[in-house]
Amino acid sequence: MTLLFAVAVAILFGSGAYLLLKHDLVRVVIGMVLISNAANLFIISAGLSRGQAPIYPLADGEPVSDPLVQAMTLTAIVISFGVAALLLALVYRVYTSHLSLDLDELAEADERDEAVRDLATLTGRQR
Amino acid sequence: MSLDLTVPLGLAWFAAIGLAFFDGRRAWAGWAAVAALATTLLGTVAVAVDVAHSGPRSVVAGGWPTTIGITLEADALGLTFALLSLSVLLVALTYEVVAGVQARGFPALVLAMATGLLGLCLTADLFNFYVFFEIAMVSAYVLTGYGDRPHQLRAATIFLIVNLLGSVLFLIAIAALYHLTGTLDMEQLAIRIPIVQTNPAILSATLIFVAFGIKLGLFPFHFWLAAVYTGTRPAVAAILSGALVNIGSYGLLRIGGGLLPRELEQGAPVLFALGAASILYGGLQAISCGDPREVLAYSSIGQAGYILVCLAIGGEAGYAAAVLFAVTNAINKTLLFLVVPLRGPWVAAAVTVGAASVAGIPPAAGFFGKAAVFRSTVADGNPAILTLLVAGSALSFIYMFQMVGRQDWATGDGVGPIWSDSHLPATRIIAGGVAVVVIGLGLWPEPLLVLSDAAATALIGRLP
Repeated sequence: MTLLFAVAVAILFGSGAYLLLKHDLVRVVIGMVLISNAANLFIISAGLSRGQAPIYPLADGEPVSDPLVQAMTLTAIVISFGVAALLLALVYRVYTSHLSLDLDELAEADERDEAVRDLATLTGRQR
Repeated sequence: MSLDLTVPLGLAWFAAIGLAFFDGRRAWAGWAAVAALATTLLGTVAVAVDVAHSGPRSVVAGGWPTTIGITLEADALGLTFALLSLSVLLVALTYEVVAGVQARGFPALVLAMATGLLGLCLTADLFNFYVFFEIAMVSAYVLTGYGDRPHQLRAATIFLIVNLLGSVLFLIAIAALYHLTGTLDMEQLAIRIPIVQTNPAILSATLIFVAFGIKLGLFPFHFWLAAVYTGTRPAVAAILSGALVNIGSYGLLRIGGGLLPRELEQGAPVLFALGAASILYGGLQAISCGDPREVLAYSSIGQAGYILVCLAIGGEAGYAAAVLFAVTNAINKTLLFLVVPLRGPWVAAAVTVGAASVAGIPPAAGFFGKAAVFRSTVADGNPAILTLLVAGSALSFIYMFQMVGRQDWATGDGVGPIWSDSHLPATRIIAGGVAVVVIGLGLWPEPLLVLSDAAATALIGRLP
């Protein structure tokens, strides 16, 4: 069971890291979502324990499964879901203002801005 | 009568939620946010006064028994950073409200960030630390895009992706620590960590270090920083470099120094090396930049290196120096980022005060920060580090006064060449007020020194 979880976390994280290195922003976002979910699965696997459900009344003598990791994962899922939505909204805004999601083209826009700014600093100094 | 710890936290929280429904561009909403934040700050001051008189206070949320419920704890270290972050947020928010808020969410977001930063400093539970950390970070993600210009959106995207990756690594480290020790309570964790095997503990410590290194903008994780600081509006740059950066310094101190001191000591050579790289890289890059905002951004990378060196030295003196330096650095950067877009004779004076403080020239407050770093290094007796610090100081002296000399700060009526939309005299009064605080703390450093010593003692005292 532990091995299964470890392999699943590794595959999720690996695919996420692979997508994160792509040039397309949408793929980068999907990579981020996969990595967040790898973390969620990791939290679950950090407290794997067999036993009865931790709901009162508890039967005597039987071990109780760890409820804390599930509460933590639930919180982490909510947070990563919210941040993923925010990330998608931001990427959409980048698209509407640049009409492109290619990181190379965005970097070119960065360089253009920098050239303009350097020029402004130079002329500002001359004044 | 003592104020409950949850009062300031809940106040900022509910004010943030309430203001989110209203248009923040209206003057009344902005001033309501300023009032709410000022009240939160006053509440935190009341808690701090109480803690100074009768020692650390803790509250278990929901009335649960101590080891089961989630604990909030106020000690000198947490309160120092809480007061610092809230003050910086208050100054930046007032500045922006005076200059004219341009996005409807701005006041609510600043309050949400105040909730996150205050909670972060007061929590004694590692997972809650992560939750408050994310509250502050999510507000920061939105704030970096504030202004809606294309280059701000690009910078915000990179900022979000890089920092989100950092947060995920931190979350993984928390889960790993929970697996190793079976607890998330910081006090219990500090007791149980020494029993844990070295390798898994070092691995978790490394993940935590990377997560906070990204927040601080340390050398190998700095690539997002320059674009973000240069692109955003002055108030947001001040918030990021004066308040949000405290997550990094406080996190490294609290978790590195307080929970994982053994791992911190084992990693000291790496910390020295990365700190040295940060100081030199930040200093040299800052010298080569023309735009004052870029100079300040790279200067932040260099200053983060000093905090790391102090942490590597460790001990009560090292931690006290790290706290003192983090506080003065945050105030310096707030002043400089707020004052750089303005012009006028008093602005020239304020820029000079800020530059002197970063370079460490008395009577500015930065002098005591640098002096504390030097004192702890001399006590440590490592000549290589001392040489490095001298070189770093020389670099900061050069780039700061290069920045002052390059522009004509005194002429003009407050309209700078960079952001032409913050031109009211009141913004200059606020920036001037911060400059007066920098000089005041330099002339009367007693409170700052007492606070940083108390913070370091609180941190050391927690160790088993």
